[in-house]
Amino acid sequence: MADALIELFADVLQVEAGALNDNSSPDSVRQWDSLAAMHLVAAIEDKFKIQLSTKEIMKMSSIGLARKTLQDKNVKV
Amino acid sequence: MTAPDPKTAWRQYQKQAGTPDITVGLAASFTIDPLEPYLGAHLLGKKLHPEFSQAPFNQLQQLCLNHTYAVGDPDVIVLLWRIEDLFGAKLAATLDAADALPALLDDIRQFAASIAQLRRNFAGTLIVSTPPFPSLPGFSALELAAPAMQVYTSAAQTWAQETAKIDRLRVLDLQALMMEHGAQQANDARKWQLYRQPYSETFWQAIGTQAGRIIAAEKIAPKKCVILDLDNTLWGGVIGEDGLGGIALGDEFPGRAFRDFQRYLMHLKSKGVMLAVASKNNPEDAYEVFDKHDAMVLSRRDIVAFEINWESKVDSIKRIAAKLNIGLDALVFVDDNPKETGEVQERLPAVTCILVPEELADLPALLSETDLFDTLQITDEDRKRTEMMAADQQRSAVQETMSEEDFRKSLQLKIDIFAAEKQHLARITQLVNKTNQFNLTTIRRTQDEIEQLAASQDSLVLGMTIADKYGDYGLVGVAILSKNGTTADIDTLLMSCRVLGRGAEETFIAQLAAAAASLGCTGLRGKYIATAKNDMVKDLYARFKFATDGDGWILKTADAAGIPAHIDASLRLPQSPIPDKNKEGKK
Repeated sequence: MADALIELFADVLQVEAGALNDNSSPDSVRQWDSLAAMHLVAAIEDKFKIQLSTKEIMKMSSIGLARKTLQDKNVKV
Repeated sequence: MTAPDPKTAWRQYQKQAGTPDITVGLAASFTIDPLEPYLGAHLLGKKLHPEFSQAPFNQLQQLCLNHTYAVGDPDVIVLLWRIEDLFGAKLAATLDAADALPALLDDIRQFAASIAQLRRNFAGTLIVSTPPFPSLPGFSALELAAPAMQVYTSAAQTWAQETAKIDRLRVLDLQALMMEHGAQQANDARKWQLYRQPYSETFWQAIGTQAGRIIAAEKIAPKKCVILDLDNTLWGGVIGEDGLGGIALGDEFPGRAFRDFQRYLMHLKSKGVMLAVASKNNPEDAYEVFDKHDAMVLSRRDIVAFEINWESKVDSIKRIAAKLNIGLDALVFVDDNPKETGEVQERLPAVTCILVPEELADLPALLSETDLFDTLQITDEDRKRTEMMAADQQRSAVQETMSEEDFRKSLQLKIDIFAAEKQHLARITQLVNKTNQFNLTTIRRTQDEIEQLAASQDSLVLGMTIADKYGDYGLVGVAILSKNGTTADIDTLLMSCRVLGRGAEETFIAQLAAAAASLGCTGLRGKYIATAKNDMVKDLYARFKFATDGDGWILKTADAAGIPAHIDASLRLPQSPIPDKNKEGKK
């Protein structure tokens, strides 16, 4: 399964994609610290060619919530 | 050719655990994390393998006091800062009260003093930013009647003046970068609010490239010579067909683009880059443009070598390299014909080939946008290079008319060898780090290390300048002696190849013996450390009657040969100048 969003998180957080799912969050993934959050935003904006507002960024506190935020912006993930 | 995305390239590199060859400490008054992949990727592109350390967020003062605690002891420290981060309250106060400015400037002076302290503590390359125009609510260059621009200008000037006094500080001009990119593009308010990280990704990339250029310029030799085509490169049109009045060169486009390109070439020449011409033309047609066209910026004197003929450019370029005695990898070739650049690229891959752009408006900036000529220090020898080459050519012309011995005598060679002082250190460092052929030990050193050796009682750093009746060669030789009991070890002995074979080697060895005596030594001990390029000096010590002890070469100072009679030699050492008593055959 090649889920583009999971792949992106795995790549930035430097963990195995298999270890991540939509419930993964800063609480469950040790590598997901505030610096990683910053890199995640940069990577998401770069990959999907969008710009996130601070409100949207604040909402993305798990991969599932990030997916929902992106889907609300008409990104197919 | 599309370069791989820098972030991907950096991440891939990080996954293979290689050995780094350069360590870089990063510090800023804001989160500097995003710089790492861009700077890392730029350095990888220059075949450097960096490893980064980061100072804790906004602890610049602590870094200046104790850098090892903050970033370890890296080869390079990059420090970025903003006025609003370090002195935000005082900066904001200047908007409301005219008398608040001096307090801000005081703080800036103190911070510059901290940087000076860091410079003293840290031996490596120190790169520090200029403060960019502040990004602070209300602090706007456009707000009517607000003194923001004046305040910023005073602050930036104070910083520039104070840091100009610091030795070997490399400046990363963050303000200039921001002007180039536009503050709107550079800043990202969201990231600042969320992560204390002020910049957009594109701007981080620009900072990474700029920091990478500064670091690479320390490690990578700049190109030495640009070889230029003529028709449709230095002027528009074909001189052989269009004639002097028909080529495009002057005030009106497209002639203006060619003229502006020539102006940039003159600027390169003033930095020490040599200019040469390789053109398929009738020589008289081409020279006529140089001699008679009003709008020519370059004159024949500015060109060190002309190859104007109907032969292949590959051969022309090889001849130019031979004539200037420089490697093909030091050459840049510019031509408007892709067949020519293609052929040169294929047959001489070491040469950097650049095609004149289709859009002529981009021609003037063609070479300024590359890092090929990046250099951090321009010495007097660099500025005079073209004149020195011209003197060389005069010498060769005379040499052909007389015997070797008469020629040597006719040169009226003057060789001065002296203990290095501060003003010589930049050039000595340059020679120590780039001389490959006539270099006995090839020990590379930083300017700091050389300065320390020069200051020490137990060592001598010697420079050699040579002049003859055709001109000045400048500082072309270096030796470092270190006292080891009653023997002086020749730690470093090197010379520019342009001066060989006229008695400079003999003179240098003779004077080294005298200098060793001044250190209280009775013997000289030299070593030859073989490299891929210094084969020419493997027998040097044997030639000068040094005796081998298996590991090194030894000569009693009393047994040293004299200085050749045709040379006017002098030796200047600290405190007790030694007279030229070992000079034989006085005139």
